[in-house]
Amino acid sequence: MQHYSPAVEKVLDHMSEVRSGKLDLSWMNSNPGGWGVRATPRDERGLGLEDLNQVGTYGDVPDYGGEHGSMAPRGAEVPPNTPALGCYDINDKSLVWADNVALLYDEAVARQWSSARDIPWDKLKPLPDDLEKAMCQLCTGLTEVEFIAGDMPAKWMWHINHDFHEVKCFLATQIADEARHLEVFRKRALANGGGLLKASPGSEQLLRAIIEAPDYTTASSLMHILAEGFVLTLFRNGEMLALSEVEKKIFRLCMQDEARHVAYGTMHLKYFLEKHPERAEDIHEILRQGEEAIFGLSMEPQTSEPRAILAGGGVDHIFEGMAKLSYLYTKQVREYLHRLKVAGLDRSSRLAIPLELPS
Amino acid sequence: MLFPSVEWFQALCDAANANPERFRRLGTVDLVLVAKIDYPHQSRLFEIVFSGYHCGGVREVSSIRAAREGAVILEGPFAAWKEMVANIKANGQADLAHTLNTLTLYDTPMRVWAESQLDTDLFYRYQQNLQEFFDSASHFETEFAGPEATSVYN
Repeated sequence: MQHYSPAVEKVLDHMSEVRSGKLDLSWMNSNPGGWGVRATPRDERGLGLEDLNQVGTYGDVPDYGGEHGSMAPRGAEVPPNTPALGCYDINDKSLVWADNVALLYDEAVARQWSSARDIPWDKLKPLPDDLEKAMCQLCTGLTEVEFIAGDMPAKWMWHINHDFHEVKCFLATQIADEARHLEVFRKRALANGGGLLKASPGSEQLLRAIIEAPDYTTASSLMHILAEGFVLTLFRNGEMLALSEVEKKIFRLCMQDEARHVAYGTMHLKYFLEKHPERAEDIHEILRQGEEAIFGLSMEPQTSEPRAILAGGGVDHIFEGMAKLSYLYTKQVREYLHRLKVAGLDRSSRLAIPLELPS
Repeated sequence: MLFPSVEWFQALCDAANANPERFRRLGTVDLVLVAKIDYPHQSRLFEIVFSGYHCGGVREVSSIRAAREGAVILEGPFAAWKEMVANIKANGQADLAHTLNTLTLYDTPMRVWAESQLDTDLFYRYQQNLQEFFDSASHFETEFAGPEATSVYN
């Protein structure tokens, strides 16, 4: 005769009661205040997360997440015997929220693309050796750094109270986006007769600062606003430097994803600083560190030289290319400062790096 | 069809709305875009509203201030617009040197901006949609109004 644990025996006893007609059904009368809703899509785009937040109290995001510490969905009745998972220690809405996060999630799920299917790989053409190497080095660098924006959200996501599911859902889309970026740049490096080239110690310095940031908001400021803001301009640069429709499409689609991440980070910082203005100095300090790291990374030969070669049209015109990149550097920094201004942080007089490169 | 005109930009809108599956595949767009065509002594501005999978409509506006709040301005001299549109028609789509991003990255010959950087960033967030929107100009003939063209507001 098989012996089961007390927990399994309890379930078997309950099954006997059900077979004899004793049903519970108390759950049918639970949560009476949350019953009778009908979420509807706002237009032809379908039913989005943003639409769910318009019905009843389901869109009421508490300033402090439920103390039950479980994955019980926001708005459901939580039985008293619900066990806590013991992992949710980010329970303050202001530490993760952005007013645009549900909208950004809906946008993200509508804009997913496939690097296998949506890139016209058949349009790759053989290139002169210096240009292929430059493109492959650019892609080596990008495939190296992109998944920091997968690792960072993953580090913090399981700490975030489940009442802020919009944030967790958005971060999940970011992880998927960055997986796609990692793979598409790896694919380009390996698809046209070249290969991966040199990894970047400078990149790893910045990535480490992001991973080791002391809390979610400082990590987000460093990654979403500084790093991804700079990479956004890099993607714009990549689109312009594209040697075929293949790279054009890759960089254009990546640009879209990156801009979405930057939008979340900017509005999260804004929300955070409105609630915690006393923390502004902490953000200034982490950004100071990040600015120095990203400046060092930008000037690393394996980061700057390939772009200059592509911008100049070949290694023989690398200095012409460098002159063009100098303009873009200033644009990157200005846009970064403008995003911080939207977020309520003025670093224009505290920038740790030059606004313009010396000529 | 005469460029620039409400009818010309409306034709792009109509092309987008007539092919919903193409734009559904690309994803939603929520954006007010003002195409600003600069002449030596005046500018003409055309406001295009995108919402979800739909191009909502076009109107000519007298100034940037007259456009909807949060508008993203895509501006450039008439010659640059003409070259871009002609290139799209000749090639079926913008070639490598004439994409929206390429033309605006160095702020010349065209520039994209908005009052808030977050709104400017919408241009990047919807870049593929916007490129395919303008690439629709390959499907009809365009006649270019000369530099002496006048706005309805003159």
